Amino acid sequence: MINTIKNFLGLDIKAAKYALADDPMFGRISDAKKPDKWVFSTCGYCGVGCGLYIGVRNGKAVYTKGNSAHSVNMGTLCPKGLSEHEMITSSNRLPSPMVRKNGKLQNSSWEDAFTQVSKKFKEISEKHGSSAIGVLSTGQLLTEEFYTLGKLVQLGLRTNNYDGNTTLCMASAVMGYKQSLGSDGPTGSYEDFQHANVIVLVGANISDNHPILKLHIEKNPNKPKIIVIDPRKSKTAQMADMFIPLKPRTDLALFNGLAYIVLEQGWENAEYLKANVTGLGDLRKHLQNYPPQEVANITGIDVKTLYEIARSYASSQAVLSAWTMGVNQSYMGTDTVSAIINLHLLTGQIGRPGAAPFSITGQCNAMGTRETGFTSSLPGYRNYGDEKAASEYADIINVPLELIPTQRGYKYGEIIEAIERGEIKALWVVATNPLVSFVNQTRLRKALAKLELLVVQDAFMSDTAQLSDVIFAAGTWGEKEGSYTNSERRCNRASKAVSPPGIAKSDFDIFLEFSGYFDGVRELIYPNWKTPSDAFEEWKRVSRGQLCDYSGMSYQMMELHGGIQWPCNEQFPLGSPRLYTPDIGFRTYDGKAKLLPLEWIPLQEPTGEQFPIILNTGRTVEQWHTRTKTGNIDILNDLAPEAWVDINPADASALQVKSGDRLSLSSPRGRVDDIVVRVTQTVREGNVFVPFHFNTQLINQLTTSSFCPKSGEPNYKQTAVQLHSVQVPQGIVMKSPEISGTLSYESSEVQSVPKTTGHIVQMIRPF
Amino acid sequence: MNDTATPLESFIGYKADTGMQCGNYSIDIPKLQEGEQYRFHFDATKCVGCRCCEVACNEQNNNPADIKWRRVGEMEGGSFPDTLLLFNSMSCNHCVDPACLIGCPTNSYIKFDNGIVFHDDPSCIGCQYCTWNCPYGVPTYHEERHIVTKCHMCHERLAADQSPACVQACPSGAIEIEAVNILEWMANDIDTSGNMPHLADARLTNSTTRFTLPDNMPLEMLKADEHHLKPAHGELPLVFMTVLTQMSLGAFGALFIGDILSLFGFFKPTWIFALLALVPAALGLPLSALHLGRPLKALSAMKNLKTSWLSREAAALGAFTGLMSLNVALYFFDIATAVRLGFELVTLLVGIYGIHAQAMIYRIPARPSWDRFSTNQKFFTTAYSGLFLVALALIISGTTDSATPLLSSAMILSVIHGFFTLGAYNELKASSTPQLEKTLRLYRELFATLHTLRWITLGLGALALPLLSTLLIASGLTSLAIITLVLGFVLIVLSELMDRFLFYTTTVPLQMAGGFFVGAQRH
Repeated sequence: MINTIKNFLGLDIKAAKYALADDPMFGRISDAKKPDKWVFSTCGYCGVGCGLYIGVRNGKAVYTKGNSAHSVNMGTLCPKGLSEHEMITSSNRLPSPMVRKNGKLQNSSWEDAFTQVSKKFKEISEKHGSSAIGVLSTGQLLTEEFYTLGKLVQLGLRTNNYDGNTTLCMASAVMGYKQSLGSDGPTGSYEDFQHANVIVLVGANISDNHPILKLHIEKNPNKPKIIVIDPRKSKTAQMADMFIPLKPRTDLALFNGLAYIVLEQGWENAEYLKANVTGLGDLRKHLQNYPPQEVANITGIDVKTLYEIARSYASSQAVLSAWTMGVNQSYMGTDTVSAIINLHLLTGQIGRPGAAPFSITGQCNAMGTRETGFTSSLPGYRNYGDEKAASEYADIINVPLELIPTQRGYKYGEIIEAIERGEIKALWVVATNPLVSFVNQTRLRKALAKLELLVVQDAFMSDTAQLSDVIFAAGTWGEKEGSYTNSERRCNRASKAVSPPGIAKSDFDIFLEFSGYFDGVRELIYPNWKTPSDAFEEWKRVSRGQLCDYSGMSYQMMELHGGIQWPCNEQFPLGSPRLYTPDIGFRTYDGKAKLLPLEWIPLQEPTGEQFPIILNTGRTVEQWHTRTKTGNIDILNDLAPEAWVDINPADASALQVKSGDRLSLSSPRGRVDDIVVRVTQTVREGNVFVPFHFNTQLINQLTTSSFCPKSGEPNYKQTAVQLHSVQVPQGIVMKSPEISGTLSYESSEVQSVPKTTGHIVQMIRPF
Repeated sequence: MNDTATPLESFIGYKADTGMQCGNYSIDIPKLQEGEQYRFHFDATKCVGCRCCEVACNEQNNNPADIKWRRVGEMEGGSFPDTLLLFNSMSCNHCVDPACLIGCPTNSYIKFDNGIVFHDDPSCIGCQYCTWNCPYGVPTYHEERHIVTKCHMCHERLAADQSPACVQACPSGAIEIEAVNILEWMANDIDTSGNMPHLADARLTNSTTRFTLPDNMPLEMLKADEHHLKPAHGELPLVFMTVLTQMSLGAFGALFIGDILSLFGFFKPTWIFALLALVPAALGLPLSALHLGRPLKALSAMKNLKTSWLSREAAALGAFTGLMSLNVALYFFDIATAVRLGFELVTLLVGIYGIHAQAMIYRIPARPSWDRFSTNQKFFTTAYSGLFLVALALIISGTTDSATPLLSSAMILSVIHGFFTLGAYNELKASSTPQLEKTLRLYRELFATLHTLRWITLGLGALALPLLSTLLIASGLTSLAIITLVLGFVLIVLSELMDRFLFYTTTVPLQMAGGFFVGAQRH
């Protein structure tokens, strides 16, 4: 009462709460949040992998501060990293496992949860075979946990229908690296941003998604030429010296066209090709289908510009091409990645400082699951079907060879289809939220409803968790030990600063304990394992001699050096900043990289009268993926609390809407209402952009089940949609191609020739 | 398990290899020379709009999510594909002539020798006048603390050679601390490097922030929050306070003239009339304390008579009310008329100055809809309501012959007041100032009903009903006339309260471009 009065009269200005105090590590900081200790760790959001310290006060995480001595971020952190401690105490954390009883999820003991799930798994295995169990994992766990989970699923549960959400983001890069270079593994380093003379950012909006990489570009003393290739004038495109606004999903044709010009002009690095590369003849023949004018017609980028880009690749000392989802999330994502690699091989722009085809990973440890996870390959990038590799692995971990799967099971999308067909009966979802992130939500939800058992293991009450039968409540970043591998193969130490809430357990402990519910499994695959370091030690032995060689690493080294880039062994005691240097050969059978003939395919769902607009989706800096982590952090969520639709003024005026109004979007698969309009010139007429983070405006209701056949990655980025405003409910009327151009040609204007051709081609291949 | 120590014991002395100020927890800046101060440099060509600085600032200062000392605004210009996205990360511009400091009634702002404009929390009374005055909307009212707070360039960190949080956090090195020679800045560079689209001209308060902008910027840069249409705070305590003090001035003026006229045989006012003139101000003034975050410290609002109109207003209207109280005593004890008239003249002059000061509070460039001569005109002519009050009292006391001329004067003054009000509104229609255009939109789109009611009540209360009452008086129906006039008076008071509410709530301040969802992040 007295306090209320004091408060009303303003007698207390809470000076103490807002005072500063001296901290021995970081100087003057907030006194009320001054930590008792700082814990060395690595950020758990994206694949950049920033080094940081977690401040802990009275057992609670109160601060996250960038590690100035860490080579990745040199003291800086993005807004999500800076507020990461708030994620730990988010109100949607799960303090206890839960089991659905009488239709309602209720807190349970671990024993109940494990018993129920293991019983059902065994029952389904007996009845339908072990492959009737599907597992969807993530890029969010620690490497030790991925390795542990992989063993449990493949060797314990004995199902190879196991994939991760990494298939929704990085799979095309994985498969592209594999088919061109013989193995997965990003070739470059962040320091290459500092060494390059030309930086090509293709389908990569690093300003929103990896802002800390700007630091490395900023550090480059060469004033590099920055080429941004994107259908959208994104925040990232603002850095561009050359902005290439190509038509949606014409990236493969663009890179083929550049390769054509390089060969046509004799700009290829013949010496490099001779020594390191095969397939030049076939490629040269294949590229005859991609002459500059044809590529100009496909991409909408004029011939002169094509030559300029090609020349940049050929004539610059060092070119770095970095890409993310714009390239990967494509029905020909794998081949697009290979087309980029083709160009780098042709021009010898690989394996040198500043020269690399370089994928930038989305999640903090998508790399960890790629290396260890048992999904796209056996641990250590050992290929499925490679008998020698399989027996080598079986020997190292001391299990019978017949236990090692000989082929990859279903990929993410195929798992969903198998559920649809009734082939997969139980699904275990670990730290991912398909109910927001997967394509074609209506179809997904119908499929999931068919499951006999849905188990969700998560630190947060996600949309998917709410649908589950059993929840395994997990610890999250800051609550567990292990390591993360970032985009540049740097293995970073992640430490436990605080304990998980309630009776939640680290994912590692969940896997270990859960395995004990299956006869003999724990003894076989986790002999004497107690802590994540036991997994790490085995993994070091498993990876020895592989490209992703951890054998020379230790946790101490990771802390001391701010992460170690694999391969790390006797030859590279402190790791290697890049792959495919003269010391590190390609992992193909003949040790040479492959130039591949790759075919560009027009949009699989072209626009038409009914759906004349192309929808592009992506991310915004303030939110993380499906918002399970960031949706309850006010300082982030307030800045982007709901989805919006970026729309060109021409389309806005056709729909009679202005910024702040509301729109609906529809596609053949569904309709999303109540999206706030943002009229902007960052998108071209006929194209819109909507962020995918929001379950409130679930944009993946519209996206289509179209996948890259090689990687299984969905084509999120182009969906034919219609827009509906209150004033113009029927939406945009498609403009018919301008055939009048033919007349103006005849009437004399010679300049209109390329334009005319363009229109004719446009008619054949409508975009 | 390993328990190795962290690689570094302390980051204070550690310099990351960025070649920039960012990333490091300590900063290298030369010691200030004579005539120099610290300032921010913001390089818009480097900023990618990631908002690291915003979050880092709040983390450093323990501020809740809705108190942002540093904000990032977004603008867009040009057309696809030559579209320019422009970001403005801004905290305080640590001006040479800070409007916050000049207007602060409690001297709570201090311009340090190193140029930092520092807010002294303990002396702040939460009047929020600085939040009106700053053309950048920098100071922000912190409800939990009942005071205003703002960026102080992490002065405690700077004093120990440590980097401000925003500078440390920027991954692009877009925010830096520099030393600037004030005279050189004011002589040349401020016009070429001190301005940013949508910010007030740097000369207005001699802002010190240096902006680096892209070459060939499109002429028209649109704010990302252009579509926001948000009413300003209604300031109800101030609505009552200003209307009531203005009414008192009118009533007291009527009393004074009546006292003079009584020398010529007209009705002689009594202490009751003197009391009547006092009552509105006596009610209104204390009400104003309610808008303070710390009402008990209201009296310290008079600390800065030298530069603050708010201090002057508080002092003058305080004195006016005090003098009016004494005047009641003069009437009550029937002090000699000459003495009383002299005293009343002084009181009236103090009152006029008080209302002048009151109007001048709003004559601030940061709020274009207030910063118009019509504000002064309207504040003074609102006094007509006091004339009605006295006229009503005269009729009730049975002196209708004195009441009728006063009633006519009141009606004439109310018509003038109506014209000023209408003029101020029509000025909005003719204006191309973006803030005034938005003020008009607020009138039309959010407050159309209230605005209509304002005019209806004014027409009825100040004209129709008083006219009717004069007819009734002429017909000898005095009690009916009284009822009519009481009703009219109630309508007048309502009308002026509505108009004053609209005055406050439709103002659109000068403000940086904001974010698409959050706007400029000011309440």
